[in-house]
Amino acid sequence: MRPGTAVSAPAAAPLRPLLWTCAAFGGGVLLHADRVPPWAAGIALLLIVWRLLSAHRGGGSPAIAARALLALALVSIVLARFHTLNGLAAGTTLLLLMAGLKLLETRAARDQVVMVAAGLFLLLAACLDRQELARAPLYGLQAWLCCAALAVIATPTTSARAALSLAGRALLLALPLALLLFVFFPRLPGAFWAIPRNDLAMSGLSDTMTPGSIGQLATSYEPAFRVQFLGPLPPARERYWRGPVLHEFDGQGWRSSPRDLRAHVPREYLGTAYHYRVQLEASRQRWWFALDTPVQAPEARARLTYDEQIIGDEPLNDPVSFETVSYTHTRASQPLDIIVQHQDTALPPSGNPRSRALAQSLRARAGSDEALVEAVLVYLRTGGFVYSLEPERLGPDAIDDFLFRTRVGFCGHYASAFVVLMRAAGVPARVVTGYLGGEWIPYGGYLLVRQSEAHAWAEVWLEGRGWTRVDPTAVVAPARLERGILDLLPQQLPVRERLLHASPWLTQLLQRWDAANAWWTNHVVRFDYDAQLGVLERLGIRSPDARYLGSAFMLALCAWLGVVAWHIGRSLHPQRPDALARAYGRLCRKLGRITPRAPHQGPLDFGAALSACRPDVEASVLPLLERYAELRYGPPLAETRAQDIQVFRQAVARLKLPRATGRD
Amino acid sequence: MRAATAGERARWNPFAALAAALDVRAGEWMRRRQGLDELPVTLARRRLYILPTRGGVAFAALLFLMLLAGLNYANSLALFLTFLLAGFALVVMQQCHRNLLGTEVQAAIAPAVFARSTGALQLTLGNSSATARIRLEAALPHLPLVSADLPPRAQQRLELPLPAPARGVVRIERVRLSTAHPFGLFRAWTWVHTPVSMLVYPHPHGALPMPVDNARAAGARSHAGAGADEWVGLRPFRDGDSPRQVDWKAYAREAPLLVKEYVQGASELRMFEFAQLARLDLEARLSQLARWVVDAEVHGERYGLILPGARLAADRGPEHRHRCLAALALFGLEGGLS
Repeated sequence: MRPGTAVSAPAAAPLRPLLWTCAAFGGGVLLHADRVPPWAAGIALLLIVWRLLSAHRGGGSPAIAARALLALALVSIVLARFHTLNGLAAGTTLLLLMAGLKLLETRAARDQVVMVAAGLFLLLAACLDRQELARAPLYGLQAWLCCAALAVIATPTTSARAALSLAGRALLLALPLALLLFVFFPRLPGAFWAIPRNDLAMSGLSDTMTPGSIGQLATSYEPAFRVQFLGPLPPARERYWRGPVLHEFDGQGWRSSPRDLRAHVPREYLGTAYHYRVQLEASRQRWWFALDTPVQAPEARARLTYDEQIIGDEPLNDPVSFETVSYTHTRASQPLDIIVQHQDTALPPSGNPRSRALAQSLRARAGSDEALVEAVLVYLRTGGFVYSLEPERLGPDAIDDFLFRTRVGFCGHYASAFVVLMRAAGVPARVVTGYLGGEWIPYGGYLLVRQSEAHAWAEVWLEGRGWTRVDPTAVVAPARLERGILDLLPQQLPVRERLLHASPWLTQLLQRWDAANAWWTNHVVRFDYDAQLGVLERLGIRSPDARYLGSAFMLALCAWLGVVAWHIGRSLHPQRPDALARAYGRLCRKLGRITPRAPHQGPLDFGAALSACRPDVEASVLPLLERYAELRYGPPLAETRAQDIQVFRQAVARLKLPRATGRD
Repeated sequence: MRAATAGERARWNPFAALAAALDVRAGEWMRRRQGLDELPVTLARRRLYILPTRGGVAFAALLFLMLLAGLNYANSLALFLTFLLAGFALVVMQQCHRNLLGTEVQAAIAPAVFARSTGALQLTLGNSSATARIRLEAALPHLPLVSADLPPRAQQRLELPLPAPARGVVRIERVRLSTAHPFGLFRAWTWVHTPVSMLVYPHPHGALPMPVDNARAAGARSHAGAGADEWVGLRPFRDGDSPRQVDWKAYAREAPLLVKEYVQGASELRMFEFAQLARLDLEARLSQLARWVVDAEVHGERYGLILPGARLAADRGPEHRHRCLAALALFGLEGGLS
């Protein structure tokens, strides 16, 4: 039998590397399964199954013409669906499909390596898309899977266990370097090339509102942002977080104004100044939520509009943190700009006749705008209105339908109806969407605002007071101000949310989990150049800059390389010989002064050679050598063996060789 | 196996000529740098070379793209992934190097074969470390790889196929040892410069009848009884003796292993003469002589060889056969092997 195995490309590629290739690529597909269109993920998974089946049956890949046709068809579908290939979602979808096609013609190890690279590339795209803490372990698993697949492709006989352990070991050894590089590898201050990434929608507020749209958010447990107060906390009923302000009403829903008025109304700020830091989640939108009403835009990347929204220059593709100051009470010192007044009293020329009539009658009875606001609120409070997440569908005259027929609505319905009534009575009013409330997380010392706390309220312009917040929902469901939506309408929420809130223990766990997420976002996801300099400062460098980072980076790299080389090389050294072998080695070294032991000589042969050289030492040396042979090769004496070896060792240590008396 | 290799090599490569030239220059440089190797050799750090494989280069390109994307978007997770995989590649490089480092090349021999067959370079590798060495590859220049695993503290013999197209001597200057284990991203390799010669006997071929030599050659014993083997005596067992010749009865009586020795009837004594085959050309003559030598040995006959300028007395046994075939292999060639 030949001891070596000849290696060449076998006729039928073994199934195992292909299986791992499919696993690595399939893992990448699954990472995007909920982000790309379902048909794309489905096709990619189908292609995997197809390839595996054809390999199982030993069939070949489809003809090149068929593959080219399929590729062309898939590219056109993606183009038709996305209208572009330049975007994270479109690009990822295309990568899924093309890599899936490539899988069909995967034969040699080279093709399989390409597929694993596609798996890693999908992993990269997933990192660019979402950086949540909960997904990090998934990303780690995918990296592990891809590396293990490389091992199997390189050596097809590797078992799954061996491949995973090999890859896992190598990745664990790489982990310290990854951490060091992560901290010290100099970051760039800005982007030098941009792929549009906002084609992947996230749940959250938008620049339009139909009465029911906010209710859809109410069941989303996703965090919207977190707030850390650097001073006093505002009372619970003042925690209005200002988002998109909507001006245009089309009879059904609301839209933000396309106008970009620079006219900022000067105001006086009253009461306590609240200084705080907001950590926004990546929303793919441009609103930076701030406590109502922010004094100024926090930095150069965002600006404050005339209607007190903070709008970023770029969509929030990554988490952002900013600091600003807000006051919960303000007063305008100048009259309303005429353009704004016109915009915020506009209604569609027709529709909702009963609402208009109601507004006119209330207007006639009320002496002032303040009295009118009060009258409308009284109407809402006493009209038998019900606060609910599940209102009925409204007809074409939505406001009439709501005010006079269904009388069941969510915050959007009330804000919308209130503003329409105000405008019908000639009072400038607008809808403000945002969030109300927040959950205090004691573990991180911050306020967590979830999507479920999305809210809509109204602002009216009152002469002498300026824009004044009126929350019509508060008169229908006063508890909404103090408690979250989850406490208010538990029976209308999904079972999962209700269960999560059933036990205080679970609530606590959730809060801890959110604190971990906050830490992750703050210290890992948003770890940038400034944070790097902060680390250097903490290491005791006075005025750190990029050069220090470079040196720290090189130092870390060298140190790690040394440690890894030592660790890997360690296994090369033969194991330490056992006590008996060590004692025998010592004996041989001692006797070697008389005549060195040849490698082929056993202890007895060596003894014979020694006695031939120096008959005078024969009596002292031969018993020792024989004792060694007995201990090493004789029958095992389990109980006394350790002792015997100890005695032998001492005998070797005591052995003194007399000087040679004369030459032989 | 060779067909598959040829197919792989046929892949279009615009830099093939450049790569070949570089390979030759690098080979010369390594030969000068390392000197001739006296086996056994332990592969030391100084003589191991390592470069990324094609897959490794692709992996590096992927990492570069990842780094760009991560830096561009200041995306922490993408950067961390990049660094993790970069660290992984560096670890893999060390593991690959370690897999070859310290391997012992204990012996390299190439037993003689007949022309028009494939011989083998028998390479014995040893592993004295406590960890296994997986998928070590050995290759002769321009010939396919052979790979094997070496368990901890073990030896493994690799047979590298070595084609023997024509009689004479096939000389090997160097053997390449390499490994891409464990992830195929790097390949560590070294050249072991150890000259090995493989003797190639002439292809045994020819249908002429074997000559019967009636003149008794010198040293051959003459016996009257034709055909019957004659018992000569007992001698100690030597490696290679047939078990059938062992005197098992004596062994059962606790005597040492003894072998019964016979001498065959000497009627089949043949001398093969080069000069007798004058009608054939040189190679055909040598082939015919080789055929006769092989057949005679198979039939247990005693035979000798008479070549111009050389005479091999009649005898039999593997050593004699080898002497005869070697004489035929080297006949008329420069620098003959003794």
